[in-house]
Amino acid sequence: MQNTDFKIIVMGGSAGSFSVVSGILANLNRDFKIPIVLCLHRLKHVRSGLVEGLSLKSAIQVLEPNDKEKLQYNRVYLAPANYHLFLELDGSIALSTEESFNHSRPSIDHTLSSAAYVYREKVLGVLLTGANKDGAKGMKDIADKKGFTIVQDPATCDIDTMPKSALQLFDPNLVLSPKEIVQYLNSLPQ
Amino acid sequence: MQNSELSQTYKEYLLILKECSPYDFSEYSDNSIDRRIQKIMHDYQLSMHELIHKTRTDAEFVEQVVEAITVNTTELFRDPQVWNQLRQKVLPVLKNHPKINIWHAGCSTGQEVYSLIILLDYLNLLDKADIYATDISKKAIEHAKRGTYRYSFNYEKYLSNFNGVFEQSDTPDIKKYFSINEAKDTLSVKPEFLGKVKYITHDLVKEGLPFYNKFDLIFCRNVLIYFNGALQTKIVQRFHDNLFPGGSMVLGSHETLNGFFKTKFAKNGPVYARTNTFHFKY
Repeated sequence: MQNTDFKIIVMGGSAGSFSVVSGILANLNRDFKIPIVLCLHRLKHVRSGLVEGLSLKSAIQVLEPNDKEKLQYNRVYLAPANYHLFLELDGSIALSTEESFNHSRPSIDHTLSSAAYVYREKVLGVLLTGANKDGAKGMKDIADKKGFTIVQDPATCDIDTMPKSALQLFDPNLVLSPKEIVQYLNSLPQ
Repeated sequence: MQNSELSQTYKEYLLILKECSPYDFSEYSDNSIDRRIQKIMHDYQLSMHELIHKTRTDAEFVEQVVEAITVNTTELFRDPQVWNQLRQKVLPVLKNHPKINIWHAGCSTGQEVYSLIILLDYLNLLDKADIYATDISKKAIEHAKRGTYRYSFNYEKYLSNFNGVFEQSDTPDIKKYFSINEAKDTLSVKPEFLGKVKYITHDLVKEGLPFYNKFDLIFCRNVLIYFNGALQTKIVQRFHDNLFPGGSMVLGSHETLNGFFKTKFAKNGPVYARTNTFHFKY
């Protein structure tokens, strides 16, 4: 039996993911408890405004965390522009300005792999539409630690490079459309 | 091997490094330091055993380890809104001071040192500024002294940051401060601005400072994120002790102080002003 008692949801996406994430956050139950950590690639020159954009419709509070901030229930944490975001063993978030990874900072692989390391089978990883392979390795790390993995159905992606890279590396638990992802999340025991 | 055992091994390595070199990384944040050591082992293709042996026997290698552990990410006017705040709110307060003492702690390759020089020049404050910049990395300090950066890699980003700091009608010409050589792919700080800074190689973690001044402004951006809580507290206390009352400390845009400092600093975004507490240390 697959564990569904998640301590954290980590979600990665790149090109085309803003509207997908925005749609997911808008349709979540308002009392959705499990902390959600978002790692989205940003256009180099559009560094601000993402948190405001996502907040507009989101059912729960979206914020860009500070370094060493502890995760809380009923919050969405967005990796700040130009920082990598890691999960730490004490339940906090660590930010870093280490070199770009997969040409990206934040790197989805970094966030997902650290979540796999810390939360193991208690992490739910979601990889959305995107134009590069960042995130595929991190998703595999989650799967390797017996976490739960959902990849957005490539047929529903603006650009399917990111989910397809993941599908080449491992078999996720589910391949879902954005609408089905929301349904799945809302069906989780809280 | 279990993750926790691995982490233990990295800790032991840091103690060995501390023992046989002047460098102490033992109070760096676990997750990030573990990752840096992993990267060194991977890049140099060394087992932990080989890494320890090389660290004990090869002083030059130790310097390379230090370079590899330290993170040298910086850019001109990183987070323009912070620099805009400095231009409008923080620096004008210093106009009536006879001298302005500034310390860039962990200056890396110097881009923010020159960013501040540009702002000071723009506000006609540069002549009375006394600027110190320190970093643990010798290589970064040498780079900062040269003030030469890659043009193609940086210019577009720098220009957009630069334009985000000033009012559109009153933006200085970036070429006043930099000479560009497209053939050599370089963007160089002009010599008259290079000479304004005293660069010193210095490990922030160690006791003692390489100067006696107190400061009006201390910059320490995205350095504390690599330290554990106890070390952060120690370093911030040192900044507090070395700031004039009312002086400001500028942190990275996603760094905050822990509760201990709530009454010692007044926070305005990433700029923290030392409050006027009664127990002056001088």
